[in-house]
Order: sequence, then C-alpha cells, then structure tokens
Amino acid sequence: MGCISPQNTIDANWFFETIAEPNVDHFNAIEPSYKEYIAPNLLRRMGRAIKMGVATANLAINQAEIKNVDAIITGTGLGCFEDSERFLLALLDNNEQFLTPTSFIQSTHNTVGSQIALIMKCHDYNFTYVHRGFSFESTVQDALMLFAEGKKTIMVGGIEEHTPNFVLLNRRAKKFKNYNATVPFWESTTPGIQMSEGGAFFVLHHAKTEKSIACIDGMQTLYKPKTSEEILKKLHAFLQSHNLKLSDIDVTMMGFSSDVNFDKLLVEMLPSIEKESIVASYKHVSGEYHTASAFAMWTAAKLVEKQQLPEVLAVSTKRPSQIKRVLVINQYLGINFSFTLLSQC
Amino acid sequence: MSQRVYITGLGMISAIGNNVPEAFQSLSNSKTGIGKINHLTTRYKDEFLAGEIKLSNKDLADLVKDNNPDLNRNSYIAMLAAKEAVIHSGIDTKDGMRTGVISSTTVAGMGKTELYYKELFEKDDHLGVLDTHDCGDSTERIADYIGNVDYVTTISTACSSAANAVMLGCRMIKHGLLDRAVVGGVDALSKFTFNGFNTLMILDREWCKPFDENRKGLNLGEAAGFLVIEGEHALNKRGGKALAEVVGYANANDAYHQTASSPEGFGATLAIQQALQMSGLTPSQIDYINMHGTGTPNNDQSEGMATKAIFGDQVPKFSSTKAFTGHTLAAAASIEAIISVLSLQNNMIFPNLNFTTPIAELNLIPETKLLLTPVNTILSNSFGFGGNCSSLIFKKA
Repeated sequence: MGCISPQNTIDANWFFETIAEPNVDHFNAIEPSYKEYIAPNLLRRMGRAIKMGVATANLAINQAEIKNVDAIITGTGLGCFEDSERFLLALLDNNEQFLTPTSFIQSTHNTVGSQIALIMKCHDYNFTYVHRGFSFESTVQDALMLFAEGKKTIMVGGIEEHTPNFVLLNRRAKKFKNYNATVPFWESTTPGIQMSEGGAFFVLHHAKTEKSIACIDGMQTLYKPKTSEEILKKLHAFLQSHNLKLSDIDVTMMGFSSDVNFDKLLVEMLPSIEKESIVASYKHVSGEYHTASAFAMWTAAKLVEKQQLPEVLAVSTKRPSQIKRVLVINQYLGINFSFTLLSQC
Repeated sequence: MSQRVYITGLGMISAIGNNVPEAFQSLSNSKTGIGKINHLTTRYKDEFLAGEIKLSNKDLADLVKDNNPDLNRNSYIAMLAAKEAVIHSGIDTKDGMRTGVISSTTVAGMGKTELYYKELFEKDDHLGVLDTHDCGDSTERIADYIGNVDYVTTISTACSSAANAVMLGCRMIKHGLLDRAVVGGVDALSKFTFNGFNTLMILDREWCKPFDENRKGLNLGEAAGFLVIEGEHALNKRGGKALAEVVGYANANDAYHQTASSPEGFGATLAIQQALQMSGLTPSQIDYINMHGTGTPNNDQSEGMATKAIFGDQVPKFSSTKAFTGHTLAAAASIEAIISVLSLQNNMIFPNLNFTTPIAELNLIPETKLLLTPVNTILSNSFGFGGNCSSLIFKKA
C-alpha cells in the first residue's frame, strides 16, 4: 500500500510518532519528491491528484513486488480539480478563446486510473468511482465482487486534491472552522470541518501471500441513515454476516469530523460501541475529504500490522491487548456512511 | 451468481425528445435532434451545432416540480429520465426489495459552476454551487426523487460511463447485493465541455457523419438515459414484464493514449470479445451493432478496425445513432442501450444519418435507412478518454 496524506504516511517507517497539525482550518498533504516515483517526462504535465495517485500506486506495487494487476479501480470525489479549475478560469478569463486542451484532457475524472493503466500497460478492467463519501468504498466493493468473479490481483485507490481557490471558497461558504486541539472531535459542539486531501493505493490479492498486511473481510455503504439505531442495526447485521459480534472487534475507528451536525449519529452511537469495543478516531489527523476512508483503511491495516493503537488515535481509555480485527465506521457530511472490516491474515 | 438480469423500464430525455415515446418517433422518422444552439451560452452558438434538449431550465424545473435553487440542468434531466424509467417498469421502491441507483456523469454541476464561479469570490448568492458541483450530486437527487433507495454510487469513465453503470448494476444483482437498480448516465451541455472538445479540434461544424470517409468530428449533445434492471428472482416475485435481457458486458482498457484510441482498436476488440464470450453468442449470432461511432476520424477508424477484427467479412448490420442525439458523453451508452431495446422491441434498425462514402480502407457500410427486420441480439459499444472501452450485449426477452 502507498499513502500520501497530511501526515508523513509516505515514509514506510512512520507510525503516528510525529503529528502535523492543520494549516488553521484545512490540511495540506505532505507530498514527496515525485521524481522518485514518476518519470520526468510524465511528471511535467501531471496535476497533483494524478501525481498522488501514480506515486501511491507505484509504492503499493513495489511493496507487493508485483508487475501486473487484473484491475485498476480508482475513487475520487472531485477528480482532478486543479486542472478543471485551470481550464475553467482560462475559458472565463479569455471569453472562450486561446484555450489549449491539456488541462481539459487532465480534468476528466478517470485521468488517474487511466494514467496508471497507461504506465503499467494494463488493458484489463478499469473503473473510476466519483460518488462523494462512497468513492473509495465503491472501489473496494467492486474489487470484492471481481475476486468472486475470478480476478486475482487488483489495485484500488482513493485520491483527492484541493486548490487554494477551493479552500478560499469553502471558507467563504463557512464550511471550515479553525482546528482546536483542546476539543476532541467527538465532543465538538460547533459546525465546520478541516478540509483535507490525499491519495492512497492498495494492492489486493485474492488469497493470502507472505506479503499480505491485512485482510479485507467486508465493506458496506449506507445512504442517508436516519437514526443511530438504524446504523447500529445495520452494523450488527453486517457483523453477523461475517459471524462476528461487536465484541469481536478489537478496535473500531470512527470518522468524527468535528462538525457537530455531521457527527451527530456517530456521537450517539459512541457509548454502545465503546461498551463492546475500543474506539479510535482518525480525521483529526487526516482531515476530512471524500476519500478519507482510504486513509482510514491504510491506518486500519497498519494497526493490524503493528499490533498497536497509537495514543494519538485513541478515543477509549482502554487499550487493546491484541488487534485481530479492525472496523472502520466512516461518515461523510452525515449522508454517506460505510463499514469496512479488516482482520489479521 | 447465475441469476439473469432483465431490463424492465426505460427513461430518456435528449435532443430527440423529452421521453422515450418521443425519441422513438424521431428515430423511426429519421429526424435528428441536432441543430442550432439555443440554450447554451457560448460565443460559438452560431458557429456550431449541438444536440440540445429543447427545454429551458425553467421548463425543466416545472416538469420536475421542484424549485430548489440548488438543482442544476444535470440534476433536472437525470431526475426526469430516472423517474420515467421507474414508472415504466412498474416497480414500487417501497416493497422491501433492495433498489440501487448507479449513475454516471462527466460534467456534473459544471454547467452551473461556470456561470457563477467568478462571483463566488465576492458575493454569497450562489455559494450553493460548491455543494452541487460534484458528480455524486445528481445521483443522490435521483435517489431522493425516486425514494426508498438502498444503494447509490456514481461512475465517471468519460464517454463509456453509462455502459459501466449498466455493467455494475448487473454484477451487483448477480452477486446478490441488490434486487434491482436504476442505471444510466447524464450529461447536460456546458461551456466547459464544449470548449474542451473544441480545443481538441474534434467538433464538426456541420452534422456529424459517423463512418463516412469525409467525417470531420462529433456534434456534442446532452441527455439523461436510465434503465431499470431487475434480477429474475425480483422480477418473477412481483410479476413484472421484461423488455430485454442483458446477456453480455465487458470493460477493457486500450492503454494507448490519454485521449486517442489505438489505430487497430485494441481495447475495443478486447471489450467486444469478452462481452461476446460472456453472452455465449458467436459473432454470427449478433443481429445488429449500435456503434459508438462518434464521427471523429480517430474513433470510427479504430472502432471499424475492432469490428473487422471480430467479425471479419461478416460484419452484422450496424449504425451509429449519434447523428440523432449528438454525442451525449456519460449518457451516450445508456441512451444507446435504450435505443437498442427499442430496436429489439420493434424489430427496427435505426439509420446512421448523413453517411454517403465508406472509409476507404475499411469499406464498412452502415444502415442508412430505417430497416424493418427481425432483431434478436444487439451489441452496443462505448469508448472513452483514458482508454476506457465497454461493450454490452442485449437479447430479446
């Protein structure tokens, strides 16, 4: 797996020892020197989303020590926003004249996935999902179906970039608030999030190998659940379909975003989850973005690998004695909810 | 896994009509919807033609019966077409079966964003476009308009998008994750896409001429097309009627160039081959091909080569219907899936308008007049930027 985020996730040895705080009301990804991952002739034309996608895909492939995959599935809520904005501004500023196609070509949402296919010469299955807080979730659901259909090795990823204008406009629309380290995200009483960005790619294999870090047991999405009871009911059914109970889950990572409205249902669920499992939070280190669940999956896999819950993520006071199973309950804008279940291989 | 998947409802709004019966009228009368630009604001409105929906945003809002200022043209047309498909199918989303909405779009809310983007930095009036700019917006609007939807997602694979939505819907039903789905795509015209295609120099200033030696490019269109697909278990349970069966689908990547197709149509050949393999049909059992056929020099050449690679000298009857609707991008594959179902239902092959001279090196001649002939099986192709190639195969129910 490969991950670029507002934290130092690009460093394979980093495990939440040093934590970067947001830039007042939003997070910026810590980007590597891309020359290490992408050929210079390609790099020159790529927008940041493409760079983050290609670099993390590259990291994942190298770690898995593979050359080919049977499918490339990409998730992104806003796609290549920087190129979209560049083409839009050029056409508005020049009254639809003197335009060049490069940024238009790169603005297409499937650019990241198709660039990876081009570089890998992969003629197989290629999908791009673009549904808000389900963009990354859809890639994993699709991969699980493809394995059942006989594919062996699949790459899935989630990528999001923001631009200075995008941050400025969302700030004007009062969507952000200043980060306050003294108020835990799940105790927030005010609206507003810290917008963020990042990219993560994962190589998934149909069976365990000596390279396996963790196993994805299941993924389910919930669209506009009305009450926390409804979510809990669906969660129990989800776990039951894997012959599990909540008490079998060593760590439950919950997607509190610090917006009191969006987090309402998760906050209501917190006591019942904490009764059975040890709860962790992650958006105070990743920030909020459409594919923050890809950061969450990366983190969940790391917890299983390292057998340790970093203090900075812990919500519960208890600590796990072992981490065999991790559940991620993500939410986006209080509309898109998802469960991701990972276990030790 | 082996459950069969049927199409049970159709809904579309495009340049050739505001619903499926109107589209059928235009198709059977060889009446194109491509003409002078009336609704899109662009400095090129008198220089180019486009396949516009013949309704203003105000007209659309009245049809949707929703004056929510956050709605945009993309959402209006998506909601209308999806609702038509649901009503046509007769499904009741409140009956306890699991319904998904799988949509696709490339332009999303850009048509509205581009109108207000500059003023967003100074005035607060239209900051709402920030919430409706993304691709997921129209999908969630459809889901809420239909009601009682269990699953939503959105695909964006350029001009092959809706084919992939159909494919994903079929797969989720076969995997038992859904009982039925509303699948398709939507793309309203925008200055952004219009100028994008113009900078690529692939727009014809006259009517597009798919598969013609002298073709100069495509005409852009706008449309929303949605199909209700149901697993046989769900369909039998409610006693619904199937319009057609989806018997094959495949997705492959050309991996040749970000925007151009390989000259030999490598990705297209793979997609057609794999879809045929899944359907269990031999190439000779395909009665008609609804081509991607955009009218660009590159696509038609590449698709023609792929067609020859698969069918050799026995190329079935074929046409591109893009000279009726224009190239409706993310919606194209669902619009053409609906046109394919109309072909199966009526035993009609709709013509490839504006064709006169075959491409010299291919010598492929499409149907140029409405043809009444038995049609039992149809292959429908869709290809897009990023090398995305998808093929679907439909069979008479």
